[in-house]
Amino acid sequence: MDERSRSWSRTARTVSRYVVMAACAVMLVGPFVWMVLASVKTDADIRRIPPTIWPDPPTGDNYRRVIDTFPFWRFAANSLGVAVASTTLQLVTASMAAYAFARIQFRGRNVLFALYLATMMIPLQVVIVPLFIEMRNLGLVDSYAALLLPTIVSSFGVFLLRQAFLALPRELDEAAFIDGAGHFTVFARILLPLIAPVIAAFAVFAFMATWNSFLWPLVITQASDRHVTLPVGLARLNGRFSTDWNVIMAGSVMTIVPIVAFYLLTQRWVIRSVAFSGLKG
Amino acid sequence: MTRTRRSIGAAVAAMALVAVAATQHAGASAEDVTLSYFTFSAAPDHLEDLDSIVAAFEAEHPNVQVEVQTAAYADYFTSLQTQIAGGSAPDTFELNYENFVTYARSGALLDLGSYVGDGIDPARYYPLALEGFTDGGTQYGLPATFSNVVLIYNKTLFDEAGLDYPTAEWTWAEYTAAAETLTDVEAGVYGGFQPVSFFEFYKSLAQAGGVFFDADGNAAFNSPEGVAAAEWLTSKPGTVMPTLADIGGTPDFDTALFTSGKLAMWHNGIWQFAGLNESGVDYDIVVEPGDAQQANAVFMNGAVASAGTDHPDEAALWIAFLTGSPTTVDTRLASSWELPAVSDEEAFAGYLEITPPDNRQAVFDALDHIALPPVIERQQEMQDIVTQALERIVADGADIQEALDEAAAEVDGLTG
Repeated sequence: MDERSRSWSRTARTVSRYVVMAACAVMLVGPFVWMVLASVKTDADIRRIPPTIWPDPPTGDNYRRVIDTFPFWRFAANSLGVAVASTTLQLVTASMAAYAFARIQFRGRNVLFALYLATMMIPLQVVIVPLFIEMRNLGLVDSYAALLLPTIVSSFGVFLLRQAFLALPRELDEAAFIDGAGHFTVFARILLPLIAPVIAAFAVFAFMATWNSFLWPLVITQASDRHVTLPVGLARLNGRFSTDWNVIMAGSVMTIVPIVAFYLLTQRWVIRSVAFSGLKG
Repeated sequence: MTRTRRSIGAAVAAMALVAVAATQHAGASAEDVTLSYFTFSAAPDHLEDLDSIVAAFEAEHPNVQVEVQTAAYADYFTSLQTQIAGGSAPDTFELNYENFVTYARSGALLDLGSYVGDGIDPARYYPLALEGFTDGGTQYGLPATFSNVVLIYNKTLFDEAGLDYPTAEWTWAEYTAAAETLTDVEAGVYGGFQPVSFFEFYKSLAQAGGVFFDADGNAAFNSPEGVAAAEWLTSKPGTVMPTLADIGGTPDFDTALFTSGKLAMWHNGIWQFAGLNESGVDYDIVVEPGDAQQANAVFMNGAVASAGTDHPDEAALWIAFLTGSPTTVDTRLASSWELPAVSDEEAFAGYLEITPPDNRQAVFDALDHIALPPVIERQQEMQDIVTQALERIVADGADIQEALDEAAAEVDGLTG
């Protein structure tokens, strides 16, 4: 009797856990599924009241329209190039700065670090006009350099990687210094490999942020189509008085595919990094 | 319309002159010039149409190249303001009527006065539209396009209810009676749809016989006419139209409702025709019902040149071409882009023959009684104040007079 009731309550617990998880999954995945389905609906289909779920009939026209309306591949190449370059440069600058803040004693270190952190509190909207003027004075308006330069140093990245370095025992560097290593060797060959999971996680964040960024690319690439990135190009699909949501959804699907692919490739490290920082934390 | 008709003869004659005059402005230099043109109305559906206008212009002016930049309306002003503030404004760009004054008064726009009569033919445009792009008597822009709002109705729903179709003689009373009969909440069918917003309010106010600003420039919309207009708008949600909560957050809710045959009367613009013709709904249009008088909303876009452009002569030539040339008029009409703001009845003849709607003439009849939106420098804030006051009346049951009094005081704070 006792035994049976215990197994029953265990089953009930399992079932209720699955119900909750399934509900969460539906809530999280639902919008994505809707987006994909809407992207293959016709105009009339998407405006139907009450709304329907399954496209009837499914159509590939929306994807064709996205590609026909704009130099889609050019925008995609711009986005990819800028995101990869920006992520790489952010990793270089953030890891080196983080090492300096974590391991090298110098005057004003803490003040400087606090200043770094303070810049995280300033929204882009506030500095966008001065930044634009700066780029104009440098003669960089509507160029890849202008797209890239403001993004290559991430104070969030410096903060994240500094914390990761601080979690490593100092004995590691000391042993290396005794063997005659300099700062660069300690940084590149000893400490960096040890925080690889955090680096991978930051790479994902940086890539996503650059890939999705909108406001800065919007104002700085406006002079021509040459340097426009995908989100900015995609926004042009919005009409003033009405919007073809099926076309927008097709464009959105095409825009998020690289992010999903990048995440799937790196998720092993991302999850490990969360677990890693959780254990150390 | 009378004003329009009178100027037809002049306009037709002027049509030929524009092209000639446009090529002869003495100041235009022969060296190669690249002009930028920033627009919100071309993407995503009319990029090719704009390209063909640009190509025709460049063929006439081989030394001038026009580079088109586009952005969606929602992002356009963010980008434009940054470019102007950053000192690299596009040479020429598009502005809607409501935003025009803000830019004109900020000193961002080129005074076109010296080109009027020399490259720009004023008789080519609807007088009222041309006047709309002046500020303090200075011509800062040229009207490019207009779209207006009419009453679109579903003929099938009227037939089924055994009601007569709306006519141009209708007033609010006939409209309300029909809307109540046609509404069947259980079946999800609604009699009318009119947004609760600034744009509907200023128009309804004019229909009720009121004014938004009095002669001294003080907010006067908290008058008895203003109360009537606000009551007309705010009484609809939840009765003859869905509640604001139902509508809220669903983009193009009204479009979906009408095209699925569940909305009888719809206050919306002529830009909906193309979509409606695809939807298969049996519809027609009529001039919106007035109350004390008729008043119709018009949305106008104009083309302007930047005060800081290096090539003012070419910029003026380009915007004159963009707004008034026969190529532009034909291209816009053929692709059912927004209507060109030229006074040229002959050019519109072909447009009038396209059906549905059968009563396409209502698009032009509506121009006989235009109510232009009130425009101030802090336009967006004013629009928000009025819209929010109306929403308070609907959502919180705020007293109409009090809500309007408060809004009027706030608007005076913006202008004073």
